[in-house]
Amino acid sequence: MIASYRAELLKSRKRWANWILFGILVVLLLAFGYVLSYVILTHPPRNFQSRIPASVLKRETFPENLLPNVFSSMTSLGAAIMIIMGGLSTASEYGWLTVQTILVQKPGRTSVLLGKLLNLAITTLLITIAVLAAAAVTSYILVSIDGSTSSWPSTTTLLKGFGALWLQLAVWTVFGMFLGIAFRSTAAAIGGGLTYLFVGEALVAQLLRDVSGVKEILKFLPGVNASAVNASFPLSYRGSEAGAPLVSAGRGVITLVVYLVIFTLLGLLIFQRRDVTGA
Amino acid sequence: MAQTLAVETHGLTKRYRTGVLAVSDLNLSVRTGEVYGFLGPNGAGKTTTLRMLSGLLHPTSGTAVVAGASPGSPLSLTRMGAMVETPAFYPYLSGLDNLRVVARYGGVPASRIDPALEQVDMEDRARHKFKTYSTGMKQRLGVAAALLKDPQLLILDEPTSGLDPQGTVEMRELIKELRRDGRTVLLSSHLLNEVELTCDRVGVITAGRLVAEGTIEEMRSRGGHALLIRATPLDQARRLVEAVFSRDRVSEQDGVLSLQVDRSQAASINRRLVADGVDVSELRMSEQSLEDVFLQLTEKAPSTPSPSGGGQGGGAS
Repeated sequence: MIASYRAELLKSRKRWANWILFGILVVLLLAFGYVLSYVILTHPPRNFQSRIPASVLKRETFPENLLPNVFSSMTSLGAAIMIIMGGLSTASEYGWLTVQTILVQKPGRTSVLLGKLLNLAITTLLITIAVLAAAAVTSYILVSIDGSTSSWPSTTTLLKGFGALWLQLAVWTVFGMFLGIAFRSTAAAIGGGLTYLFVGEALVAQLLRDVSGVKEILKFLPGVNASAVNASFPLSYRGSEAGAPLVSAGRGVITLVVYLVIFTLLGLLIFQRRDVTGA
Repeated sequence: MAQTLAVETHGLTKRYRTGVLAVSDLNLSVRTGEVYGFLGPNGAGKTTTLRMLSGLLHPTSGTAVVAGASPGSPLSLTRMGAMVETPAFYPYLSGLDNLRVVARYGGVPASRIDPALEQVDMEDRARHKFKTYSTGMKQRLGVAAALLKDPQLLILDEPTSGLDPQGTVEMRELIKELRRDGRTVLLSSHLLNEVELTCDRVGVITAGRLVAEGTIEEMRSRGGHALLIRATPLDQARRLVEAVFSRDRVSEQDGVLSLQVDRSQAASINRRLVADGVDVSELRMSEQSLEDVFLQLTEKAPSTPSPSGGGQGGGAS
């Protein structure tokens, strides 16, 4: 597995698509989650209407709201980027037929996929660290520019938030990886994953949330459970009564871990058993 | 003493989920240290067989032993190098980095990369991106990757495909060199000339079945020998031989009679023709070429239900 991981590391490190996706993630997070929000809320337009004053709302870009603000962006943007990254990591191997080049080397299929999983886990960990660090630095700069005071979340809260974010990103990455193996096509894996994320999860969950029966189903979806985990890191100025989650944060974490295991095992099972045919 | 086998299959069969029978009851034996040519027309099942031997496809039934272990097992893969169907590498990496990736997967020290590149004469372009390579260069890199593990057994699918004449000669030399080193090479090809020049033994597969196996000489002799007779008057000569042998063993082309008989009968036929007043100006045995035998073998076999031989898009050939 370590040999496979080292090979994966070399491939992913030199793949520009990964760096571009990471760049997009950080730039969009900082641009929309921090800089633009701060600018607009500092100089709100005349027709700006909100129950909460803009001067309070802009505090979401300050260190005290580091975790909820990062989570609000990462729920959709982070999930989408990680589905693409996970999908690329496996589907490309089929597209380029490199899967057959890999599989005629020494490691067995399980080792190959475990090496890929280890690489993705570490990549996701590094992305989590980088995202939180970039957000923290930006929020510090913004609060300094604003001349306001703010406090950092406690170490315990930071660690919990870090773990929650890593878990969510890992689930979406493994979901993308699983789709790549199942579809053996980059377009199908990414298209299928994003359609699920933005139509299956977001749209349907919003529209049918109050339909009897559907609500019970929604409680088992990964996005809904991720939102429940995120809700346990509330904004400083708003109570948790806004958009009450369907499940508790604890159940959310457990469900996400179950999804992580299921996608991993399904991916391994298909990768193990399926024939590798040509183009 | 029984010769050890590098590859051995018993009743190897592959039926795709679509129902296409790509390989049927294949019994193949590749001896250690030989160059074995796996011949067959497109869609015959060559690549499907090589995929099964490399562990890429699971056989529907039958067994195989490759380099002393089951196909696809770490032990088997450690001892073999393979290039199946097409050299597949990461387009965004250089040839060198691609070999680094392959070496890491194979647990091969990086020090093996330079000698492998040298063997296929790719040192100059090793740092260029794979996507910029010509077909021939991709082919060479594929062979270099197969050589990285310093394997006892090499499985090469159409190794000269895409190579220019110079490259083809070099590949032929490389294969001969590998044999001199005591390695076993199993190569598939539809280029009969290549096979004749490089292989010790060949197996002919068509419609998923092995229809013949043997040395080049044995294969040639399978087609039988023809006695060519140039004589005057030709009609009289034809009537005489047809009276002795059945009509379907006699044919005529360009003023030459061709008689499907054994060499031992040539002298008596000559005596008979001369005794009957026929002037015999030429009498010689004609051996069939490997191509003739190949065409006979592959035309006789029933046609396969799918030209691809790979119901799942497998480019079997």
